[in-house]
Amino acid sequence: MVQLQDLGNVELTLVSDKEKRLKFCINDHMDILIEILQRLDGRSLEAAACVCRQWRHIARSDWLWEHLCFRHMSPRTMAGVRPVVAAMGGYRRLYMLCLRPVLSRLGRTRRLGGGDPEVVRRVWTQHLVELSLSLFCVDYYERLGNGGGSGGWVGDASASSLMFLCNPVNV
Amino acid sequence: MDLYRSGSSSSCAGKAPDQIDGLLAGAGYRVRSSELRNVAQRLERLETVMVNAPSEISHLADEVVLHNPSDLASWVDSLLSELNQPVPVPDLSDLTYAESLDPTVNTGAWMEHHTAEQHREIPQVLTAVEEDSCIQLVHVLMTCAGSVQRGEFSLARALIDEMQGLLTRVNNRCGIGKVAGYFIDALSRRLFSPQGSGLIGSAYENEILYHHFYEASPYLKFAHFTANQAILEAFDGHDCVHVIDFNLMQGLQWPALIQALALRSGGPPLLRLTGIGPPSSDGRDSLREIGLRLAELAHSVNVQFAFRGVAASRLEDVKPWMLQVGPKEAVAINFIMQLHRLLVSAPTRGSPIEAVLGWIRNLNPKVMIVVEQEANHNQPEFLDRFTEALHYYSTTFDSLETCSTQPDKALAEIYIQREICNIVCCEGLARVERHEPLAKWRSRLRGAGFKPLHLGSNAFKQASMLLTLFSAEGYCVEEDGGCLTLGWHSRPLIAASAWQAIPEPNPPLGLVDPYNNVV
Repeated sequence: MVQLQDLGNVELTLVSDKEKRLKFCINDHMDILIEILQRLDGRSLEAAACVCRQWRHIARSDWLWEHLCFRHMSPRTMAGVRPVVAAMGGYRRLYMLCLRPVLSRLGRTRRLGGGDPEVVRRVWTQHLVELSLSLFCVDYYERLGNGGGSGGWVGDASASSLMFLCNPVNV
Repeated sequence: MDLYRSGSSSSCAGKAPDQIDGLLAGAGYRVRSSELRNVAQRLERLETVMVNAPSEISHLADEVVLHNPSDLASWVDSLLSELNQPVPVPDLSDLTYAESLDPTVNTGAWMEHHTAEQHREIPQVLTAVEEDSCIQLVHVLMTCAGSVQRGEFSLARALIDEMQGLLTRVNNRCGIGKVAGYFIDALSRRLFSPQGSGLIGSAYENEILYHHFYEASPYLKFAHFTANQAILEAFDGHDCVHVIDFNLMQGLQWPALIQALALRSGGPPLLRLTGIGPPSSDGRDSLREIGLRLAELAHSVNVQFAFRGVAASRLEDVKPWMLQVGPKEAVAINFIMQLHRLLVSAPTRGSPIEAVLGWIRNLNPKVMIVVEQEANHNQPEFLDRFTEALHYYSTTFDSLETCSTQPDKALAEIYIQREICNIVCCEGLARVERHEPLAKWRSRLRGAGFKPLHLGSNAFKQASMLLTLFSAEGYCVEEDGGCLTLGWHSRPLIAASAWQAIPEPNPPLGLVDPYNNVV
């Protein structure tokens, strides 16, 4: 319970803090921004990339996407994956093209099928990563055939071998 | 019918038998009094059919163009025959009582019902008549195949005409109508152009069709991923590995293996890939192009890679010295939908499979992958092959219906159509699609000195996961004695197995000189 006297003190503190707060800009504190972005999901991360040039530069950094890719996986990393993924187009592309549709497709089936989700997830994650990497590799190979890989723009999902992932699930 | 009876009783009295009935003339129909009885009987029959099966009415609507009532006599007869009622002696005069007999049914309602169906577009739902025509179609297909087997070609040709007619009555964009269309086409090719029959495309065309078949359905992906898993496990602990692919196509199988080898614990081995394929006719060296692409991919993931292309138009032309297998390499042999081509035999010579399996065994591969269509399309009797192919490819087309990306689906269908044409039209050396079921391959490979390797649970999990990614809920992966099969609604369509050579009692030193002599 706040006494009237305390309220007065709090008000005073608030007024002086307000001035300080007006001068606070998140863009001056990149470490805080990165901490926050680290905890976002893929969709929010992409949205964050639309805010301003600085945010875009950070939100598009592959390290953040690597963190996102492996955040739900156990074990956390697979040795030596980074150079392979980097060579084939980067973690952001891996997530957008393979991991996200695979996860959502499998998540949907799991929800329908019931069963213990935690156990199922742990057992399947290694295979999931391997499968996603394989599909990603085929995609990279097809892009090689289509006249050189373009610089990582994920929008052109023209790689045909992954089109089946884009189709709506016939539930 | 009461109308008729009252009409006849009043009209017969005191009128000449061949005069036009007065009452009916008043309703707009011209009927001779002498034929009233016949007409009445047929219409009674028609009424029974219409009342008992009202869903057939919509079908009637699209043939009703009533310009001249005098045409309807034969029309009622044809109606009855279509609805599988026995047609009476065609002595009917010009009349239909249909509208007056059944007040709930009139042409207007029929037309409405029919247009509504047209707009609704439900490909899966067949009207009773359509389903009937489909059954008839299959029946005539079998009869035609039987007559082809017996050499009764004029009968076969007549049956083909009949089938073309039946085809117009079914929905030939999906279901049995579509499959039947392809089989009828194949049969007519066999009958009318036996020499240049079968659809032979250029190597380039085949590659494109293969690629689209890869996109449209999970069969090839399943084959590749399962094979790669087995190869990966067999190569465990080896530093120099050599993969021999008997049908390189566009090398879609190998990027995933290269990536998996790059990530394996202990680092990647030195990988050699020998790709066998048909010679390119148009000056492109497609084998070399694929090799360069794979090399680029391997380079980007730091896997030491060497590629060699062997161009051979027939698999039996490949000789072991062309492959240049090194003495210390771990060898993997890869046959994806290819081994059955070695079963080709003609009356003049046997099949080369024994010889080829023999020298493969001498190479002592760590693993030999055999992925084959799970069907028996190599039976000696044409009718048996035809029947089996009809069932097998109906299932395949059913599964393809779920693919929604074009042009993948259309080109995948052409890819399958070529297989169908080869099985139905060709004989002897030209018939290369000699699929055999897994059981037969097991006994054949055991006899050739190979023992089966179990495809582990990893392969099974990977295959199941791959399938859940496909949007269709009809595919199923099953384990069959250490082999994996992928099927549609519990009908296995493709079977993958892994084999290893049984060591000889006196094992050779393993060194082979270029003349394939054991040193």
